[in-house]
Amino acid sequence: MDFELSDEQVALRDAARDYFANRWSRDHVRDALDRPPVVVPDELWQEVAELGWVGIAVAVEAGGSGGDVATAAVIAEEAGRALFPSALASVLTAAVALDRAGDRWRGALLEGVCAGTRRAVCAFEEPGGAWGPDAVRTTAVRDGDRLVVSGSKILVADVEGTDTLLVAARTPTGVALVAVPADAPGVTITPMIRIDGGQIGEVVLDAVQLPADALLGSDAPADAGDDAGADADALARSTYDLGTLLGAADLLGVAEAALAVTTAFANDRVQFGRPIGSFQAVSHRLADVLVDVEITRSLLYAACLAMDEGRPDAAELVSAVKVAANEAAVRATEAAVQLHGGIGFTWELDVHLYLRRARAGVATFGDGAHHLDRIFAQHTQARAAT
Amino acid sequence: MDLHFSAEDEQYRLRLREWLEAHTGRAKNPLAAGGGGDIMGALQGARDWQRTLWEAGYVGLAWPKEYGGQEATLTQQVIVNQELARYSTPPLINTIGLTILGPTLVVNGTDDQRRRFLPKILSAEELWCQGFSEPEAGSDLASLRTRAEIDGDEFVVTGQKVWTSLAPIADWCFLLARTDPNAPKREGISYLLCNMRTPGIKVNALRNAAGGIHFSEVFFDEVRIPRDQLVGELHGGWQIARTTLEHERSGLSNVLSLEQTLKRLWATASSLQQGTGVALDDPSLRREFARAWVDIEALRYLGFRTLSAQIAGRTPGAGASVGKLHASQLRQRLADLALRTEGPLAQLAKRSPHVVDRGRWVAAYFDALGHSIGGGTAEIQRNTIAERVLGLPRSVVD
Repeated sequence: MDFELSDEQVALRDAARDYFANRWSRDHVRDALDRPPVVVPDELWQEVAELGWVGIAVAVEAGGSGGDVATAAVIAEEAGRALFPSALASVLTAAVALDRAGDRWRGALLEGVCAGTRRAVCAFEEPGGAWGPDAVRTTAVRDGDRLVVSGSKILVADVEGTDTLLVAARTPTGVALVAVPADAPGVTITPMIRIDGGQIGEVVLDAVQLPADALLGSDAPADAGDDAGADADALARSTYDLGTLLGAADLLGVAEAALAVTTAFANDRVQFGRPIGSFQAVSHRLADVLVDVEITRSLLYAACLAMDEGRPDAAELVSAVKVAANEAAVRATEAAVQLHGGIGFTWELDVHLYLRRARAGVATFGDGAHHLDRIFAQHTQARAAT
Repeated sequence: MDLHFSAEDEQYRLRLREWLEAHTGRAKNPLAAGGGGDIMGALQGARDWQRTLWEAGYVGLAWPKEYGGQEATLTQQVIVNQELARYSTPPLINTIGLTILGPTLVVNGTDDQRRRFLPKILSAEELWCQGFSEPEAGSDLASLRTRAEIDGDEFVVTGQKVWTSLAPIADWCFLLARTDPNAPKREGISYLLCNMRTPGIKVNALRNAAGGIHFSEVFFDEVRIPRDQLVGELHGGWQIARTTLEHERSGLSNVLSLEQTLKRLWATASSLQQGTGVALDDPSLRREFARAWVDIEALRYLGFRTLSAQIAGRTPGAGASVGKLHASQLRQRLADLALRTEGPLAQLAKRSPHVVDRGRWVAAYFDALGHSIGGGTAEIQRNTIAERVLGLPRSVVD
């Protein structure tokens, strides 16, 4: 029974916190709001790759650092705290998908991704106002020895500079990730603009012709006795869950950063002859944020552990932590704006940067309602099964 | 990260389950029977249940063996709490003595006091109540006015206590009284043990908002307490009481009962007719049920983190306040959800025709409201979190 970070994870957390504090300025984020998007300079990307963080959750024999999901979440949380661009979590997630897809996907691409010389990201969401694998309408259709992918993806994070897109597409047996070269004929990428300056884009796939083995895992029916590797549908869903979990970790980092900066301000700022943090209207709001943060952290650890152990309640716990993280991040960052008073509503202060990251993160990988519906559906299934 | 209990702990759990399977026949809640029933018989039943459990080795787990305890591990304590909740056994009648006074005496009592009092707390032979709050000293407990004057070998206590649970049936009371009226308010308080049969004590039961009788006023009129029933140093009672009030608990025992409550409510919502369907057809209600599940899971894993910190020998600090605040809020949201699930029938009293689940949910609702008041209000928990976790300046100047 030890439900806290290991000593190694604590050391990693401290190292990441120091690294981001020294090497990343929130001014880059503010500047990018006028000239989007905010991107990681190549030199920094090379550094984080060399630190082993891009491949943090990829097996060592595949070129990664061999960490578990909890370790990946440590990195995502620290990136969120520092407002470091989302690329780290996006590429990290795609790397895990490639690693889990079987030997076919281990090799030059994955090694290059871990080493920082190549990039892959996932493309799940589509126009239509719904989230996640169930809403996917993009199709992957077999045509002789070709796989033809058609559809439209939006909100694809960190799409520029990526050489491989892992596109979620519908197959006869569910949803699958299909590796699509960004420069393949029929692929059109158009930048979108995120409220936090984050880099996202639209990807239109117009009958993109791919080799038959471009699909991650096997989409053969379960009873086909196929041994081509992982079940493609399960892989696509667990990849979305990993992205969701890392998104929640990012929001937790944002919430904690906003809470820390606001707590410091409440200790320093004097009005009516007292630090404003001595007024309960201020301190109680911050105490409530602390409760939200602790709850989110507890659910985050639970979800990490469930994913690592492959427990059946993993998906539900991932949804639970996203619900909690969404609320914590919004409450923390809105409290930060309010409790800073006038200065909190200025462009120069960092507070709105946290708020922007929070609001964008809430709308990424599912809002609260989406995840509550998912939890309810899974509960109903579980009850029907027993 | 590892959430597993050890193989020995799981063995321990299995033995406890076997024991509970064999003994829960007598575990019908003897006090819940009440209401015009045989009160004295019910009381004896409650004492007997605690004694049986103690004799089996499942009460006083953290206490020294010398005084009837088990010196069990933290995980075993959690397992016992979990299993008692799983089997819906009645609460232990002497809970106040077990959770507050006992640990205090273990740390601060004299050897004579430990030998004299601890075994009878465990066996429920002597029931205890707590005399802390007063009409003018609630959240601001250190403002208490009950006086204890020294007269030879005795303290002479005069004053009034309130919100005293179990007072009408308790044999003993541990109380705080002012022994030095001239000292700063936290430095003139002493911690005393008083026999409730001593002349000069009057108990007046109060009816709570839910209609039940759970707490009382207790009046002390020149009640004489022998000097050797002082706990710790003279005038040193505040520190002792403060330590006990902070007695950390992981809160894991709450999780199972809340889970069962949610499960029961889920079943009600799945069958309760609403319009042409059932209550749970409403998509917004479905989300709230899912949300309640999230809240309970959060409490569970928060509890595991507190437990891990305890096992590692780290003090969870004010982490218990986080758990308590969250638990009281989730209990209230759950109770509110229950009443909204009932729809029009939520207005019905317990004995009314058509009442849902025999009025269980309105009772749960009132009970939940008390959870953010008793044992330190939600506002005091927030003060604690703000000051001791976040490091904000004290909000109260005194």
